Amino acid sequence: MAYIYKQIKYKFFELLPVLLLFFISLSGNSIVDLKFFSINVHYILVYYWVLRKPQILGYGYIFLSGIISDVIFGFPLGINALSLLIIASVAAYIRVVTVRVTLVNDWISFIPALLFANFIYFFSLYFSNYSIDYLYLFKNSIFTFVFYPILWGIFSMMLNLSKS
Amino acid sequence: MDTNREDIGIAIRSALIDKGTKQKFSLFVLIILSIIFIFIETIETKPFNFFRIFLKDIIYRGSIAVSIPSKSFGNFTDYVKEHVNLYSNYSQLKKENEELKNNISKTDFLELENTQLRKLIEEQIASSSNLVSARVMLDKQSPYLNSFVINIGSNKGIKNGMAALDGKNFIGRIVDVNFFSSRVLLISDLNSKISVLIEPSAYHAILSGHGRNKPTLEYLPEKHTIQNGDKVYTSGQEGIFSPGIPIGEVIIENNFITVLLFSDLSQITFINIIL
Repeated sequence: MAYIYKQIKYKFFELLPVLLLFFISLSGNSIVDLKFFSINVHYILVYYWVLRKPQILGYGYIFLSGIISDVIFGFPLGINALSLLIIASVAAYIRVVTVRVTLVNDWISFIPALLFANFIYFFSLYFSNYSIDYLYLFKNSIFTFVFYPILWGIFSMMLNLSKS
Repeated sequence: MDTNREDIGIAIRSALIDKGTKQKFSLFVLIILSIIFIFIETIETKPFNFFRIFLKDIIYRGSIAVSIPSKSFGNFTDYVKEHVNLYSNYSQLKKENEELKNNISKTDFLELENTQLRKLIEEQIASSSNLVSARVMLDKQSPYLNSFVINIGSNKGIKNGMAALDGKNFIGRIVDVNFFSSRVLLISDLNSKISVLIEPSAYHAILSGHGRNKPTLEYLPEKHTIQNGDKVYTSGQEGIFSPGIPIGEVIIENNFITVLLFSDLSQITFINIIL
Protein backbone atom coordinates (compact mmCIF):
# COMPACT_ATOMS: atom_id res chain seq x y z
CA MET A 1 0.00 0.00 0.00
CA ALA A 2 2.80 2.34 1.00
CA TYR A 3 4.59 1.44 -2.22
CA ILE A 4 1.49 2.26 -4.32
CA TYR A 5 1.02 5.56 -2.46
CA LYS A 6 4.66 6.43 -3.10
CA GLN A 7 4.29 5.56 -6.79
CA ILE A 8 1.17 7.72 -7.13
CA LYS A 9 2.89 10.60 -5.36
CA TYR A 10 5.95 10.21 -7.58
CA LYS A 11 3.84 10.13 -10.75
CA PHE A 12 1.84 13.15 -9.62
CA PHE A 13 4.91 15.29 -8.95
CA GLU A 14 6.46 14.05 -12.18
CA LEU A 15 3.39 15.14 -14.11
CA LEU A 16 2.91 18.43 -12.28
CA PRO A 17 5.35 20.52 -14.39
CA VAL A 18 3.70 19.31 -17.62
CA LEU A 19 0.22 20.00 -16.23
CA LEU A 20 1.35 23.43 -15.08
CA LEU A 21 2.89 24.12 -18.48
CA PHE A 22 -0.35 23.34 -20.31
CA PHE A 23 -2.54 25.01 -17.70
CA ILE A 24 -0.73 28.33 -17.94
CA SER A 25 -0.75 28.25 -21.74
CA LEU A 26 -4.39 27.25 -22.09
CA SER A 27 -5.65 29.64 -19.42
CA GLY A 28 -3.58 32.49 -20.87
CA ASN A 29 -1.69 33.00 -17.63
CA SER A 30 1.80 32.48 -18.99
CA ILE A 31 2.47 36.13 -18.19
CA VAL A 32 1.33 36.99 -14.67
CA ASP A 33 0.30 40.63 -15.04
CA LEU A 34 0.21 42.47 -11.73
CA LYS A 35 -0.37 46.16 -11.13
CA PHE A 36 3.20 47.46 -11.41
CA PHE A 37 5.03 44.56 -12.95
CA SER A 38 4.61 41.32 -14.83
CA ILE A 39 6.45 38.01 -14.78
CA ASN A 40 6.78 35.46 -17.55
CA VAL A 41 6.13 32.25 -15.61
CA HIS A 42 6.34 30.26 -18.83
CA TYR A 43 10.00 31.13 -19.35
CA ILE A 44 10.95 30.36 -15.75
CA LEU A 45 9.08 27.03 -15.78
CA VAL A 46 10.70 25.88 -19.02
CA TYR A 47 14.16 27.09 -18.02
CA TYR A 48 14.08 25.48 -14.58
CA TRP A 49 12.81 22.06 -15.64
CA VAL A 50 14.96 21.74 -18.76
CA LEU A 51 17.96 22.65 -16.61
CA ARG A 52 17.12 20.42 -13.67
CA LYS A 53 15.12 17.47 -14.96
CA PRO A 54 14.64 17.55 -18.74
CA GLN A 55 13.13 14.06 -18.83
CA ILE A 56 10.03 15.45 -17.04
CA LEU A 57 9.35 18.34 -19.40
CA GLY A 58 9.62 16.99 -22.96
CA TYR A 59 10.69 19.39 -25.71
CA GLY A 60 7.60 18.37 -27.69
CA TYR A 61 5.39 19.54 -24.83
CA ILE A 62 7.23 22.87 -24.71
CA PHE A 63 6.68 23.34 -28.44
CA LEU A 64 2.99 22.47 -28.14
CA SER A 65 2.55 24.79 -25.18
CA GLY A 66 4.14 27.63 -27.17
CA ILE A 67 1.74 27.01 -30.06
CA ILE A 68 -1.21 27.12 -27.62
CA SER A 69 0.04 30.41 -26.17
CA ASP A 70 0.32 31.86 -29.67
CA VAL A 71 -3.31 30.97 -30.41
CA ILE A 72 -4.58 32.28 -27.07
CA PHE A 73 -2.67 35.58 -27.35
CA GLY A 74 -3.51 36.00 -31.05
CA PHE A 75 0.07 35.93 -32.32
CA PRO A 76 1.23 34.20 -35.50
CA LEU A 77 1.74 30.48 -34.82
CA GLY A 78 5.27 29.54 -33.82
CA ILE A 79 6.49 32.77 -32.19
CA ASN A 80 6.03 31.75 -28.55
CA ALA A 81 7.05 28.18 -29.40
CA LEU A 82 10.31 29.43 -30.88
CA SER A 83 11.15 31.71 -27.96
CA LEU A 84 10.37 28.92 -25.45
CA LEU A 85 12.58 26.51 -27.38
CA ILE A 86 15.37 29.10 -27.34
CA ILE A 87 15.02 29.26 -23.53
CA ALA A 88 15.12 25.44 -23.46
CA SER A 89 18.21 25.41 -25.73
CA VAL A 90 20.14 27.76 -23.45
CA ALA A 91 19.08 25.69 -20.43
CA ALA A 92 20.14 22.47 -22.18
CA TYR A 93 23.52 24.00 -23.05
CA ILE A 94 24.06 25.25 -19.48
CA ARG A 95 23.14 21.78 -18.18
CA VAL A 96 25.82 20.21 -20.40
CA VAL A 97 28.60 22.63 -19.43
CA THR A 98 27.96 22.98 -15.67
CA VAL A 99 28.53 20.46 -12.94
CA ARG A 100 27.40 22.12 -9.72
CA VAL A 101 23.78 23.10 -9.17
CA THR A 102 23.46 26.46 -7.42
CA LEU A 103 20.83 29.14 -7.50
CA VAL A 104 23.39 31.82 -8.42
CA ASN A 105 24.68 29.80 -11.41
CA ASP A 106 21.14 29.20 -12.64
CA TRP A 107 20.14 32.79 -12.06
CA ILE A 108 23.06 34.31 -13.92
CA SER A 109 22.76 31.89 -16.82
CA PHE A 110 19.08 32.85 -17.07
CA ILE A 111 20.18 36.31 -18.37
CA PRO A 112 21.46 35.08 -21.77
CA ALA A 113 18.41 32.80 -22.02
CA LEU A 114 16.08 35.80 -21.56
CA LEU A 115 18.12 37.96 -23.94
CA PHE A 116 18.11 35.36 -26.72
CA ALA A 117 14.43 34.52 -26.26
CA ASN A 118 13.34 38.16 -26.26
CA PHE A 119 15.52 38.92 -29.25
CA ILE A 120 13.84 36.09 -31.17
CA TYR A 121 10.43 37.29 -29.94
CA PHE A 122 11.12 40.83 -31.10
CA PHE A 123 12.61 39.66 -34.40
CA SER A 124 9.70 37.37 -35.29
CA LEU A 125 7.05 39.92 -34.30
CA TYR A 126 8.82 42.62 -36.28
CA PHE A 127 8.82 40.48 -39.41
CA SER A 128 5.21 39.44 -38.85
CA ASN A 129 4.24 43.15 -38.77
CA TYR A 130 2.94 43.02 -35.19
CA SER A 131 3.49 46.01 -32.93
CA ILE A 132 3.84 45.40 -29.23
CA ASP A 133 4.78 47.57 -26.28
CA TYR A 134 8.53 47.02 -26.18
CA LEU A 135 8.91 48.93 -22.92
CA TYR A 136 6.49 46.43 -21.40
CA LEU A 137 8.54 43.56 -22.81
CA PHE A 138 11.70 45.07 -21.30
CA LYS A 139 10.09 45.56 -17.87
CA ASN A 140 8.66 42.05 -18.07
CA SER A 141 12.13 40.62 -18.73
CA ILE A 142 13.64 42.52 -15.79
CA PHE A 143 10.96 41.30 -13.36
CA THR A 144 11.08 37.76 -14.76
CA PHE A 145 14.78 37.78 -13.93
CA VAL A 146 14.22 39.34 -10.49
CA PHE A 147 11.52 36.82 -9.53
CA TYR A 148 13.44 33.80 -10.78
CA PRO A 149 14.78 32.81 -7.31
CA ILE A 150 11.26 32.68 -5.82
CA LEU A 151 9.98 30.30 -8.47
CA TRP A 152 13.31 28.44 -8.35
CA GLY A 153 12.57 27.79 -4.67
CA ILE A 154 9.02 26.59 -5.35
CA PHE A 155 10.10 24.30 -8.19
CA SER A 156 13.00 22.92 -6.11
CA MET A 157 10.49 22.03 -3.40
CA MET A 158 8.39 20.23 -6.01
CA LEU A 159 11.47 18.40 -7.25
CA ASN A 160 12.40 17.34 -3.73
CA LEU A 161 8.87 16.11 -3.07
CA SER A 162 8.99 13.96 -6.19
CA LYS A 163 12.30 12.48 -5.01
CA SER A 164 11.32 11.82 -1.39
CA MET B 1 42.32 26.83 -28.34
CA ASP B 2 41.13 24.19 -30.84
CA THR B 3 40.22 21.86 -28.01
CA ASN B 4 38.22 24.65 -26.38
CA ARG B 5 36.30 25.27 -29.60
CA GLU B 6 35.76 21.55 -29.98
CA ASP B 7 34.36 21.38 -26.44
CA ILE B 8 31.87 24.16 -27.18
CA GLY B 9 30.89 22.38 -30.40
CA ILE B 10 30.34 19.12 -28.56
CA ALA B 11 28.30 20.90 -25.86
CA ILE B 12 26.09 22.64 -28.43
CA ARG B 13 25.62 19.40 -30.35
CA SER B 14 24.79 17.54 -27.18
CA ALA B 15 22.30 20.21 -26.08
CA LEU B 16 20.57 20.91 -29.38
CA ILE B 17 20.96 18.04 -31.80
CA ASP B 18 21.14 14.93 -29.62
CA LYS B 19 17.87 13.64 -28.25
CA GLY B 20 17.97 13.58 -24.48
CA THR B 21 16.73 10.76 -22.31
CA LYS B 22 12.98 10.21 -22.69
CA GLN B 23 12.86 12.94 -25.39
CA LYS B 24 11.09 12.18 -28.62
CA PHE B 25 12.40 15.17 -30.53
CA SER B 26 15.66 17.10 -30.50
CA LEU B 27 15.55 20.81 -29.81
CA PHE B 28 17.02 21.57 -33.22
CA VAL B 29 14.18 19.77 -35.03
CA LEU B 30 11.55 21.63 -32.99
CA ILE B 31 13.23 25.00 -33.55
CA ILE B 32 13.18 24.36 -37.31
CA LEU B 33 9.53 23.30 -37.01
CA SER B 34 8.68 26.56 -35.19
CA ILE B 35 10.39 28.59 -37.92
CA ILE B 36 8.40 26.64 -40.53
CA PHE B 37 5.19 27.45 -38.58
CA ILE B 38 6.03 31.17 -38.56
CA PHE B 39 6.73 31.00 -42.28
CA ILE B 40 3.51 29.09 -42.96
CA GLU B 41 1.54 31.87 -41.19
CA THR B 42 2.42 34.16 -44.07
CA ILE B 43 1.09 31.73 -46.68
CA GLU B 44 -2.62 31.93 -47.49
CA THR B 45 -3.63 28.63 -49.05
CA LYS B 46 -6.69 26.49 -48.39
CA PRO B 47 -5.00 23.50 -46.66
CA PHE B 48 -2.93 25.76 -44.37
CA ASN B 49 -5.94 27.94 -43.58
CA PHE B 50 -8.01 24.86 -42.80
CA PHE B 51 -5.29 23.54 -40.48
CA ARG B 52 -4.96 26.93 -38.71
CA ILE B 53 -8.74 27.31 -38.31
CA PHE B 54 -9.12 23.77 -36.98
CA LEU B 55 -6.22 24.17 -34.53
CA LYS B 56 -7.44 27.54 -33.24
CA ASP B 57 -11.03 26.38 -32.77
CA ILE B 58 -9.86 23.37 -30.75
CA ILE B 59 -7.49 25.43 -28.59
CA TYR B 60 -10.17 28.07 -27.88
CA ARG B 61 -12.56 25.34 -26.67
CA GLY B 62 -9.81 23.83 -24.53
CA SER B 63 -9.02 27.23 -23.10
CA ILE B 64 -12.66 27.74 -22.08
CA ALA B 65 -12.62 24.41 -20.21
CA VAL B 66 -9.30 25.16 -18.48
CA SER B 67 -10.42 28.69 -17.53
CA ILE B 68 -13.46 27.43 -15.59
CA PRO B 69 -11.67 27.05 -12.21
CA SER B 70 -9.90 30.42 -12.41
CA LYS B 71 -13.10 32.09 -13.64
CA SER B 72 -15.07 30.58 -10.74
CA PHE B 73 -12.39 31.73 -8.32
CA GLY B 74 -12.52 35.23 -9.85
CA ASN B 75 -16.31 35.29 -9.47
CA PHE B 76 -15.99 34.18 -5.87
CA THR B 77 -13.45 36.90 -5.01
CA ASP B 78 -15.66 39.49 -6.74
CA TYR B 79 -18.59 38.27 -4.64
CA VAL B 80 -16.57 38.60 -1.43
CA LYS B 81 -15.28 42.04 -2.46
CA GLU B 82 -18.84 43.20 -3.21
CA HIS B 83 -19.93 42.21 0.29
CA VAL B 84 -16.94 43.88 1.90
CA ASN B 85 -17.53 47.11 -0.02
CA LEU B 86 -21.29 47.11 0.53
CA TYR B 87 -21.46 50.08 2.89
CA SER B 88 -19.08 52.31 0.92
CA ASN B 89 -20.96 51.45 -2.30
CA TYR B 90 -24.25 52.37 -0.63
CA SER B 91 -22.92 55.77 0.48
CA GLN B 92 -21.51 56.44 -2.97
CA LEU B 93 -24.75 55.45 -4.69
CA LYS B 94 -26.75 57.67 -2.34
CA LYS B 95 -24.54 60.61 -3.20
CA GLU B 96 -24.73 59.85 -6.91
CA ASN B 97 -28.51 59.56 -6.71
CA GLU B 98 -28.78 63.03 -5.23
CA GLU B 99 -26.53 64.45 -7.94
CA LEU B 100 -28.53 62.69 -10.64
CA LYS B 101 -31.79 64.08 -9.29
CA ASN B 102 -30.32 67.58 -9.53
CA ASN B 103 -29.14 67.00 -13.09
CA ILE B 104 -32.24 65.28 -14.35
CA SER B 105 -33.79 68.29 -16.04
CA LYS B 106 -30.53 69.11 -17.77
CA THR B 107 -30.17 65.52 -18.97
CA ASP B 108 -33.67 65.45 -20.45
CA PHE B 109 -32.79 68.25 -22.80
CA LEU B 110 -29.44 66.73 -23.75
CA GLU B 111 -31.05 63.33 -24.27
CA LEU B 112 -33.56 64.79 -26.67
CA GLU B 113 -30.83 66.49 -28.63
CA ASN B 114 -28.75 63.33 -28.55
CA THR B 115 -31.66 61.21 -29.82
CA GLN B 116 -32.17 63.55 -32.73
CA LEU B 117 -28.50 63.49 -33.66
CA ARG B 118 -28.26 59.72 -33.28
CA LYS B 119 -31.28 59.30 -35.52
CA LEU B 120 -29.44 61.15 -38.22
CA ILE B 121 -26.40 58.91 -37.88
CA GLU B 122 -28.38 55.71 -37.45
CA GLU B 123 -30.25 56.25 -40.67
CA GLN B 124 -26.92 55.99 -42.45
CA ILE B 125 -25.85 52.91 -40.53
CA ALA B 126 -29.14 51.05 -40.68
CA SER B 127 -29.50 51.56 -44.39
CA SER B 128 -26.20 49.93 -45.28
CA SER B 129 -25.57 47.47 -42.46
CA ASN B 130 -26.73 44.07 -41.37
CA LEU B 131 -25.92 43.20 -37.78
CA VAL B 132 -25.19 39.82 -36.24
CA SER B 133 -24.77 39.34 -32.50
CA ALA B 134 -22.00 37.37 -30.81
CA ARG B 135 -20.90 36.48 -27.31
CA VAL B 136 -17.37 37.07 -26.03
CA MET B 137 -16.01 33.56 -25.62
CA LEU B 138 -12.48 34.28 -24.40
CA ASP B 139 -11.27 37.53 -22.97
CA LYS B 140 -7.63 36.77 -22.26
CA GLN B 141 -6.28 40.27 -22.27
CA SER B 142 -2.79 39.55 -23.51
CA PRO B 143 -0.33 42.13 -22.21
CA TYR B 144 0.80 42.55 -25.79
CA LEU B 145 -2.42 42.34 -27.77
CA ASN B 146 -5.78 43.86 -26.80
CA SER B 147 -8.25 41.51 -28.35
CA PHE B 148 -10.88 38.92 -27.55
CA VAL B 149 -12.41 35.85 -29.13
CA ILE B 150 -16.11 35.68 -30.06
CA ASN B 151 -18.26 32.60 -30.55
CA ILE B 152 -19.09 33.01 -34.25
CA GLY B 153 -16.93 32.68 -37.29
CA SER B 154 -17.22 31.85 -40.96
CA ASN B 155 -20.29 29.73 -40.07
CA LYS B 156 -22.20 33.04 -39.65
CA GLY B 157 -20.58 34.85 -42.53
CA ILE B 158 -17.93 36.69 -40.53
CA LYS B 159 -15.02 38.01 -42.55
CA ASN B 160 -11.77 39.77 -41.75
CA GLY B 161 -12.04 43.54 -41.36
CA MET B 162 -15.70 43.64 -40.29
CA ALA B 163 -16.57 46.24 -37.65
CA ALA B 164 -17.40 45.12 -34.10
CA LEU B 165 -19.87 47.18 -32.08
CA ASP B 166 -20.80 47.28 -28.42
CA GLY B 167 -24.45 48.29 -28.75
CA LYS B 168 -24.04 50.99 -31.35
CA ASN B 169 -20.50 52.01 -30.44
CA PHE B 170 -17.48 50.96 -32.45
CA ILE B 171 -15.01 48.87 -30.45
CA GLY B 172 -12.80 47.11 -32.98
CA ARG B 173 -12.55 44.95 -36.04
CA ILE B 174 -12.29 41.28 -36.93
CA VAL B 175 -8.72 40.19 -37.55
CA ASP B 176 -8.89 36.40 -37.53
CA VAL B 177 -11.78 34.18 -38.61
CA ASN B 178 -12.18 30.46 -37.83
CA PHE B 179 -15.23 28.20 -38.35
CA PHE B 180 -16.82 28.72 -34.94
CA SER B 181 -14.80 31.62 -33.52
CA SER B 182 -13.21 34.91 -34.54
CA ARG B 183 -10.78 37.34 -32.95
CA VAL B 184 -11.71 41.01 -32.51
CA LEU B 185 -8.82 43.47 -32.36
CA LEU B 186 -9.90 46.27 -30.03
CA ILE B 187 -9.36 49.93 -30.90
CA SER B 188 -7.11 50.29 -27.86
CA ASP B 189 -4.54 47.89 -29.33
CA LEU B 190 -1.20 49.15 -30.62
CA ASN B 191 -1.90 47.63 -34.03
CA SER B 192 -5.24 49.42 -34.41
CA LYS B 193 -5.37 52.47 -36.71
CA ILE B 194 -8.86 53.68 -37.63
CA SER B 195 -9.82 56.52 -39.92
CA VAL B 196 -12.18 58.82 -37.97
CA LEU B 197 -14.21 61.99 -38.28
CA ILE B 198 -14.45 64.54 -35.46
CA GLU B 199 -17.64 66.48 -34.92
CA PRO B 200 -18.55 69.36 -34.96
CA SER B 201 -15.33 70.48 -36.65
CA ALA B 202 -15.54 67.71 -39.33
CA TYR B 203 -11.80 67.06 -39.17
CA HIS B 204 -10.48 63.77 -40.45
CA ALA B 205 -7.86 61.95 -38.35
CA ILE B 206 -6.45 58.54 -37.51
CA LEU B 207 -7.35 57.00 -34.17
CA SER B 208 -4.34 55.05 -32.91
CA GLY B 209 -4.45 52.52 -30.09
CA HIS B 210 -1.77 52.56 -27.40
CA GLY B 211 -2.32 49.35 -25.46
CA ARG B 212 -3.22 50.21 -21.91
CA ASN B 213 -3.55 53.95 -22.45
CA LYS B 214 -6.41 55.78 -24.17
CA PRO B 215 -6.28 55.88 -27.98
CA THR B 216 -5.03 59.14 -29.46
CA LEU B 217 -5.91 61.18 -32.53
CA GLU B 218 -3.15 61.54 -35.08
CA TYR B 219 -2.64 63.35 -38.41
CA LEU B 220 -4.89 66.26 -37.48
CA PRO B 221 -4.54 69.58 -39.32
CA GLU B 222 -1.86 71.80 -37.74
CA LYS B 223 -4.23 74.60 -36.74
CA HIS B 224 -7.12 72.51 -35.54
CA THR B 225 -9.74 73.74 -33.11
CA ILE B 226 -10.59 70.49 -31.41
CA GLN B 227 -12.03 70.84 -27.93
CA ASN B 228 -12.84 68.63 -24.98
CA GLY B 229 -16.09 66.78 -25.55
CA ASP B 230 -15.97 66.74 -29.38
CA LYS B 231 -17.43 63.51 -30.69
CA VAL B 232 -15.44 60.95 -32.68
CA TYR B 233 -17.07 58.76 -35.37
CA THR B 234 -15.78 56.35 -37.99
CA SER B 235 -15.24 58.25 -41.22
CA GLY B 236 -15.64 55.27 -43.55
CA GLN B 237 -12.87 56.71 -45.72
CA GLU B 238 -10.90 53.47 -45.75
CA GLY B 239 -13.89 51.83 -47.41
CA ILE B 240 -14.23 49.05 -44.83
CA PHE B 241 -16.49 50.41 -42.09
CA SER B 242 -19.74 52.30 -42.43
CA PRO B 243 -19.33 56.01 -41.74
CA GLY B 244 -20.80 57.64 -38.63
CA ILE B 245 -20.41 54.85 -36.09
CA PRO B 246 -19.86 56.52 -32.70
CA ILE B 247 -16.52 55.79 -31.01
CA GLY B 248 -15.97 58.24 -28.17
CA GLU B 249 -15.33 61.82 -27.18
CA VAL B 250 -12.21 63.95 -27.21
CA ILE B 251 -10.29 64.61 -24.01
CA ILE B 252 -7.28 66.90 -24.16
CA GLU B 253 -4.72 65.93 -21.50
CA ASN B 254 -1.32 67.66 -21.35
CA ASN B 255 -1.49 68.61 -25.05
CA PHE B 256 -2.28 65.00 -25.97
CA ILE B 257 -5.56 64.56 -27.81
CA THR B 258 -6.96 61.33 -26.44
CA VAL B 259 -10.35 59.72 -26.95
CA LEU B 260 -12.51 58.50 -24.10
CA LEU B 261 -14.36 55.54 -25.58
CA PHE B 262 -18.13 55.32 -25.21
CA SER B 263 -17.77 51.63 -24.36
CA ASP B 264 -15.82 50.18 -21.46
CA LEU B 265 -13.73 47.57 -23.28
CA SER B 266 -13.19 45.51 -20.15
CA GLN B 267 -16.93 45.03 -19.56
CA ILE B 268 -18.11 43.63 -22.85
CA THR B 269 -20.09 40.38 -22.98
CA PHE B 270 -22.11 40.67 -26.20
CA ILE B 271 -21.16 42.46 -29.37
CA ASN B 272 -22.65 43.17 -32.78
CA ILE B 273 -20.80 42.60 -36.02
CA ILE B 274 -21.70 44.58 -39.12
CA LEU B 275 -21.93 42.13 -42.02
